[in-house]
Amino acid sequence: MKYALDNVWIGLGMVVILFACFYYVGWWASRKTTSEEDFYAAGFSIGPVTNGLGMAATWASLATFMGVIALIQKLQVPFVYLWIQWSISIPLLTLLYGTSLRRMKAFTPASFIKARYGNGAAICIVVWMCLVMVMYALGQMIGLGQAFELLFGVPYNTALIVAGLATVGFITMGGMYGASYNAAFQMVVMTLAMVAPMGAIMKQMGASGWWFPPLLYGDMVPNMLAAIPTFFDMKYDFRWYFALIPAFTLGPVALPHLAMRVFTSSSVKSARWAVVWFVLFLGLLFCGTYVAGFAGNYFRATTGNIIEKADQTILVLNVFYNPTIVAAFVMGGALAAGLSTISGNLMAIAGLVGNDLLGIMAPNMDRKKKMRWGYMALGLGGVAAILLAFKPPAFLVTSILWAFGLLASTASPGILLGVWWKEANKLALIVSSTICGIVYIIISPHVLKTIVIGKGLPAALGMSGGMVTVPLSFGLFILLSMLFNRMDALKAYAPTLADKQIIDRIHGWGEEYEESRYQSTLWPLVAVAFCAAILIWGLQPWS
Amino acid sequence: MSENNTKEKLYKKEIRITVIFTLLLLMMAHCASLFVLFPGLQSPVSAAGVVGGFMGFPIQYIVPILFGWFGLAAVCYVMAVVCNKFDDEMEQLATDTKSRRQRETA
Repeated sequence: MKYALDNVWIGLGMVVILFACFYYVGWWASRKTTSEEDFYAAGFSIGPVTNGLGMAATWASLATFMGVIALIQKLQVPFVYLWIQWSISIPLLTLLYGTSLRRMKAFTPASFIKARYGNGAAICIVVWMCLVMVMYALGQMIGLGQAFELLFGVPYNTALIVAGLATVGFITMGGMYGASYNAAFQMVVMTLAMVAPMGAIMKQMGASGWWFPPLLYGDMVPNMLAAIPTFFDMKYDFRWYFALIPAFTLGPVALPHLAMRVFTSSSVKSARWAVVWFVLFLGLLFCGTYVAGFAGNYFRATTGNIIEKADQTILVLNVFYNPTIVAAFVMGGALAAGLSTISGNLMAIAGLVGNDLLGIMAPNMDRKKKMRWGYMALGLGGVAAILLAFKPPAFLVTSILWAFGLLASTASPGILLGVWWKEANKLALIVSSTICGIVYIIISPHVLKTIVIGKGLPAALGMSGGMVTVPLSFGLFILLSMLFNRMDALKAYAPTLADKQIIDRIHGWGEEYEESRYQSTLWPLVAVAFCAAILIWGLQPWS
Repeated sequence: MSENNTKEKLYKKEIRITVIFTLLLLMMAHCASLFVLFPGLQSPVSAAGVVGGFMGFPIQYIVPILFGWFGLAAVCYVMAVVCNKFDDEMEQLATDTKSRRQRETA
């Protein structure tokens, strides 16, 4: 392997040290975990700075550390724009529903769906969310396998099994306490591993601002333009950039593992301060990835070297320019990035199955028994992701990004309208979520290759599909809610007074119920008209 | 001011705060779209270099990055201050209502 580490023992030492830290935190956390609140929400006790780091670590996955750099090489600057908009996921989630659900002490967004819409809708959303979480964890497993492959020079499949099982082990041990504190530590590791070695690389590439690589590489731009004159071109039309909103802004808003970070906050106010820290920490790491993407392109164009697996660019750059110990640390950072997100994914699966699904199917089950099922779901989710990762897609980001559009089409409307609109109907949610989820899968190029909306990367990533199914889902949900609420035969599915009282309560009104609040008819219809326009726009041929 | 008026005012304020901050967040994260919509805002770029950029980069590259980091952090800071203050007002209303009811019951 051309760019494997010179000295495998240094890589092995780095991995052993990091995993020892993660397992220690997991073991320490397992001693604190005595109740469901501890296991799923870290006892609602995490402070703003730790939570900000944890949020950033959960969001910044191996896709950020490795995958984004690969796609910057392929799409160049438009992919930077695609990535930038992800910083608003947790701020938007917190503003639109995170603090409301924190007030009701939900463990997952599906806990709210269950309380607001009942069991049928909750099962529907839990199934979609679990599917998305496995897809998401799959992307991380692929990256972990690739990092181990480079670290030890072993075949990908062997690397995948070792990395995957070691990871699932420490997460299962520590629950949400372990995931939270490990995530905070992992964020520090991954930021240092991304930014500091990039300084050394930029210095060797000739950047005068090497001492702050995230923003100070402007003097490399003339050389870059001489080598790749199209690097800064905004290659696509306006619709491409607009399509980022339905699939990639509205999808992550419903990601259960991100919402669960908000729920672990010690208070609603603390959650909002955590968001400020989140943006600062994540911004530093994201800017580190943009410079790495820039450097990857620069490296290929100016040295003539070929990087066979584009996902491994950051690791290859470090093997090429930095001493072995530094390259090993960067690979450790990649591990930290993957582990923190897999922790979140698997904790979300545990919460969705152990708390939400079992709460419906076996409401009288003993709490300890439910928690054991949660642990089991966590382990099985991890094994499923490992098995799927044996045959990975070309880019590890593909499966993750595609899953965002699926979530935006199935879960986001139910959560957002459920919090802000009292007329949202239980049956309407099940129908719109199921139809739009299935349509999204059908019109993607991954299932039926003959029925595809859009083509190329926008179709593969779910951007063109999301531009159709996300507005369809919102519009259909609103119209069906209005219709079903007025049909006597479907009265059983209309929101009850208790359902409506939940909405007032989670907005902070306490027991002060007022029927007219969050009850508009006009604005939802305006939203339907807006959705129809976007849907028609999305159906036009994609260039 | 009557209690109903206060409630109505708070409700409208909640909606206003949510809409304004949603738009601000979207603006910070999606400002690259403005450069596509209005190409005149872009710095001309060619193999010879960048004309009229900032920090050595074309405006259309560095501005979205800075907005997506520092601009967003500033919006989130203001959002935390405003929303936490709004929560205080809501809690005050709940406390006032509770004590009024207790007085009426007594």
